[in-house]
Amino acid sequence: MLIEVFGPGCLKCQTMEKHAKEAVAQSGGEHQVVKVSDYAAMVARGVLSTPALALDGQLKFQGRVASADEILALLKG
Amino acid sequence: MSEPVRPGFIQRGGWLLLALPLWVFLYAVNHSASEWLAFHLLGLTPKSHLGEAVAFLFYDTPKVLLLLTLVVFIVTFIQTFVNPTRVRDALSKRRPGLGNALASLFGIVTPFCSCSAVPLFIGFLRAGVPLGVTFSFLVAAPMINEVALGMLFAMFGWKIAALYAGTGLAIAFTSGLILGQLKMERYLEGWVQDALKGPALGELEEETPTLSARIELAVQGVKEIVGKVWPYILAGIAVGAFIHGYVPESLMAGLLGKNHWYSVPLAVLIGVPLYSNAAGVMPIVEALLGKGAALGSTLAFMMAVIGLSLPETIILSKVMRPRLIATFVSVVALGILLVGYLFNAIL
Repeated sequence: MLIEVFGPGCLKCQTMEKHAKEAVAQSGGEHQVVKVSDYAAMVARGVLSTPALALDGQLKFQGRVASADEILALLKG
Repeated sequence: MSEPVRPGFIQRGGWLLLALPLWVFLYAVNHSASEWLAFHLLGLTPKSHLGEAVAFLFYDTPKVLLLLTLVVFIVTFIQTFVNPTRVRDALSKRRPGLGNALASLFGIVTPFCSCSAVPLFIGFLRAGVPLGVTFSFLVAAPMINEVALGMLFAMFGWKIAALYAGTGLAIAFTSGLILGQLKMERYLEGWVQDALKGPALGELEEETPTLSARIELAVQGVKEIVGKVWPYILAGIAVGAFIHGYVPESLMAGLLGKNHWYSVPLAVLIGVPLYSNAAGVMPIVEALLGKGAALGSTLAFMMAVIGLSLPETIILSKVMRPRLIATFVSVVALGILLVGYLFNAIL
């Protein structure tokens, strides 16, 4: 699955990206983590506050850092 | 498979009831403990420059950290009830006036990090929130910092906290109203204007968290914020301790007293480039007031540090052309100056 992490590069966004990568490693599946820091791209996706995370194009979290466990739960569906 | 174990009382937040008496105890003994450390253990002389500076350091560090922990916990808990999507919907299509007032109020409580400023700004505009109303929100959100408000209340009482919130609201309300009247939409960057014409996209369905989830989020908030700001607090306390021990009252009254026309602009000029956060300036504010700086000048200083920060301006310059940025900064700076003069004159 495609995990997109939205954030301009502040500490919170970096933490979220790290958590996403940890979750992918734990899941053992084939998932891709992409960091999106371009504002125009964020806006096009309907992101209102950062950090935000989308799974296969669907926004799942925004405005807070989700833990690796939360992201893992999302990957397992 | 065994049955899922129901989380115990302690896991569900019961430990908070145990943590509270500990907090109260630490807070109560802090003053005596700091004096004992400075004057008995280290053998410094009370009333000496060094003695007073060190005692301030030992007293203020635990005090500010304890208060910050409590304030951040309460504030983050309250914030789990507010989210930007709901605020945006409440502000959408509002007329100037009421819209500006609501936006300023929401600006206080909405969880907001300056790196969110750009997507939020565009998201608001796209949902039909008028530019002026959006500005009221963008001014209020950083200027009336919810943690600063809680800290002011805890350290200096409700009057100063109310003054801070009231004047911040007035600035956010008025500057948004003025910026809205100036019809500056065309000074948004080109890609923003394009984005505004684009179709509105799918929304995130946000679930309502349970009480224990809210407590968990508040605990996370404490870890995150206290873990991040303690260096600023230590720096602020060091500056505060220096002012407390070494800066003579006559100098402070001369620079930031109420009798000089230049004290308020000076306070703002010192404040803007200082990048700190709400918690970090508190010890400085404490020391300034203790040394006889006027309340108006001190409030102006604090608002300039928290509300008009260089990093945020740089972030906003990605969506606004220089003319709009300049207008935004000047209107806010003017508001802060007015507040400073007003309180120096009437108090």
